[in-house]
Formats: sequence, structure tokens, C-alpha cells
Amino acid sequence: MQEQHIVTAFDRDLEAIQSNIMKMGGLVEAAMTGSATALDDRDVDLAEQVRADDKKIDALEVLINEDCARLIALRAPMASDLRTVLSVMKIAGALERVGDYAKNLAKRSVLLLGSTRIDGAEGSLLRMIKEVESMLGDVLNAYVAGDSDLAETVRLRDHTVDQMYNGLFREILTHMMEDPRNISTCMHLHFIAKNVERMGDHVTNIAEQVIYAVNGELPEDPRPKGNIAVADGQ
Amino acid sequence: MTDLPIKISARNVDVFYGAIHAIKSVNVEIADKMVTSFIGPSGCGKSTFLRCINRMNDTIDVCRVTGDILIDAEDIYDRRVDPVQLRAKVGMVFQKPNPFPKSIYDNVAYGPKIHGMARNKTDLDEIVEKSLRRAALWDEAKDRLQEPGTGLSGGQQQRLCIARAVATEPEVLLMDEPCSALDPIATAQIEQLIDELRSSYSVVIVTHSMAQASRVSDRTAFFHLGELVEYGDTSHIFTNPSDKRTESYITGRIG
Repeated sequence: MQEQHIVTAFDRDLEAIQSNIMKMGGLVEAAMTGSATALDDRDVDLAEQVRADDKKIDALEVLINEDCARLIALRAPMASDLRTVLSVMKIAGALERVGDYAKNLAKRSVLLLGSTRIDGAEGSLLRMIKEVESMLGDVLNAYVAGDSDLAETVRLRDHTVDQMYNGLFREILTHMMEDPRNISTCMHLHFIAKNVERMGDHVTNIAEQVIYAVNGELPEDPRPKGNIAVADGQ
Repeated sequence: MTDLPIKISARNVDVFYGAIHAIKSVNVEIADKMVTSFIGPSGCGKSTFLRCINRMNDTIDVCRVTGDILIDAEDIYDRRVDPVQLRAKVGMVFQKPNPFPKSIYDNVAYGPKIHGMARNKTDLDEIVEKSLRRAALWDEAKDRLQEPGTGLSGGQQQRLCIARAVATEPEVLLMDEPCSALDPIATAQIEQLIDELRSSYSVVIVTHSMAQASRVSDRTAFFHLGELVEYGDTSHIFTNPSDKRTESYITGRIG
């Protein structure tokens, strides 16, 4: 990213933390893909795998936080180094949350076994997951490249995810009204949709942290909110 | 940066040591009742600039200062300004504690005496006690005022020098790496002292310790190769400096 420190061990420490973030990002991406496929294929083994792998994500978050604490204590990072460490801790937290939602999705995919497929809604849901996954991929790339412009485009795409969620909310509601026997399935689908929408929010937070680490300031303008399906406070 | 009354104002200051151009057109305004730190690599000119503020560079033959330095809007390089009077107003503390080879009492009393600040012994006693208290040395020194200042520990000697500097009621206190010869406890005591002095003086400190600059100062100026590269709120300089060179220096990168 930048010229090297005079103390090269400092660079090694920073690089180690950053490579753990990338590893964590990779695991979270895999969890999203895995849980989406488990849902689509009703694949119990894959769902189980996603749940098991979440432990690795959690362990990495703990490791990253410990490494950051050690780096702050031992190297007293300043300026961009300080911002990198602060943002890394927040990004690790956000990734852990996204991983948790993926795990929850995997759990619910098991509960949906044997229930009637609601094709339209599930298709929309998978598209929504794809979108958030692609945002996550982009934000990780933006992080590695220190590209705040790319991070900004990711931040703005959260609007799309919110709109997809709103559409899905209505779609699910229609299915429930059409046939009360769908309610149980639809409730699960709705929880999944809500969780994916939350994943999008966390990815947006990561994008904001990338912008902070690179530019030294959080973006000033509030990002457009597209989530109107649920009233405030619910 | 918030607007506080300006105490020291430098305009287009250049300093030459013979043919060497040590300070290049520095413009800076230093606020009253604030701590300002000067940071930068060795040889960047920060100490040279500090020494211009009380005309310590006058003592170096080959040194030539151009431009204006004003304290309270008064040009300190004006022909009518007496450097000795100026230095009573602008106190200085050096890197190595340098008490006079006199008693603790006389070290502090010397300045007030030559500037005629005390009418009698009671006045002088008062000034000595007040100054030693200000420098957080009174409790340790009150029972040994007649002992030589050089018999104190390093940290105590430095606080004695601070007491000596504040005894003449200066308005500006210049400190050139005041803690670099001290242990962490003595350093913490001096830093605590700087924090207390802030309410009465304009304090300018040169330090090689970035951590110290960030701990004690409200504003930080970064010097590099004789130029004032960046000057701003300390919290801003250490989290998000504007200049690439400042960034490289404070993060410990080459450049």
C-alpha cells in the first residue's frame, strides 16, 4: 500500500493482520455461497458444513482483535497505520456478523426441508444473496487495493439491496395471503431476507471503514435509505 | 483550529548558519495558553527555530536570522529590544538539566534578583517557593534549599531548571527536548507540569518523541529540511495528516 516502515517488523505485523482479514473475508464469502446453495439445493450436508465453518470465522475475529491490541501496545501506530488498525477491528466485527447471518441461513435451509417450494420468492432471495455476495467481494478488493472509490460504489449499492428486500417483503406477504399453509415457510424466507438485508448493511459498514482508512474521514453524506417495508423501530 | 489569541507570530523567517540555509521561509502563529510541539527528524531546524524565539541564536556568530518574529505583535529582533529582557519574558529549558553551581534556592532566585523583581528577602523567598511549587519540586526540595542544585537527581534538576525559568514570570516557555535525559517517571512529572503550565503560558516544546508530542501538545508543527511542512491540531496531525511527508515521518517510514 505504502512505502515501508523503517522497522520492517512493523510491516510484517500489519501484513499478518491484513492477511487474516482477507482469510476471514474469504471464509465469509464461502459461507454465503454455501448457505445459498444449501438453500437452493436443500443440501443438509452443505448446511452443516457452513455451520461448522462459522467457528473458524469466529476464531479469526478473536485472533485479529488480539493481534490489533498487541500492535497498538507494542508499535504505537500513528496516522494511516492507526486508521488501518482501527478499521481492521471494525471490519473483523462486521465480517463476523455477516458470517453469523450466513450460519443462520444455513440453519433455516434445513428447517425448510420438505416444505413446499415458493419458487418466485426463493429466486428473488437467491438474487439478493448474490448481490450482497458480490458487494462483499468488491469491498474486500477495495480494502486490499486501498480503493476508496470502489468502496463508495459498494456503499451506494446497499440501496439496491434494500429495494430488493422491499420487493421480497411484498412478494412473501402475497404468498401468505394467498395460502395460509405457506405461512411457516414464508416466515423463514422472510427472516432470511431480513438477515441478508442486514448483511448488506454490514458490508456497507465495511465499505465505510475502507473509506475511513484510506481518506482519514468517514463519508459525510448519508447514504440513501431504501428500506421502507418495515416501520421504524420494528 | 480554534481561534485563540496569538502569542508568537513568525513571518517569512529564514535562518542561515554561514552558507547553510537552516530555516526556509517559515510562517507560523503560536497561540497563547496552549502547548505547541515542534517535531521532525534531526537537523530539520526545529531547535534552530525554537532558539530564534528568544534570540538564543544571537550568541552564534555565523547565524543570521531574517524575517520577523513578533511576540504580542512586537518585533523581538527590533534594535530597541534588549535580549536579556526578552529572555526574562521568554524562558527556556534545555535538553540536559543545567542548574547553576549554586544552591537550589539561588538557582531559582538568580533571575528574579538580576531583574529586580524582589524588594526584600521575604519577596524573594515567596518567589522561590512559588516557582518551586509550580515546578512540582517544592515538597522534595523545601528542606534542602541551601544544598547545591547539582546534587539533585536528573528529573529533579530538570524541574529545578523549570522552576528557574518560571521564576522570572515569563509569558512564553520554550523547551528543547526537556525529557530526553529523564526516566519515564520524571518524564511523566514534567509532562504533568507542562499540562499545568498551559493555563499560564504559551509553551513551545521540541521533542523527538512523537508519543510525547501527542500527549502534551494542543498543536503540532512538523519541520523537514528547514521547512515548516504542516502545522495543525495535534489530534489531526496524528490521525490524519494532510502532507505525505508528515505521514511518512510520524508512521516511521522512510522519507
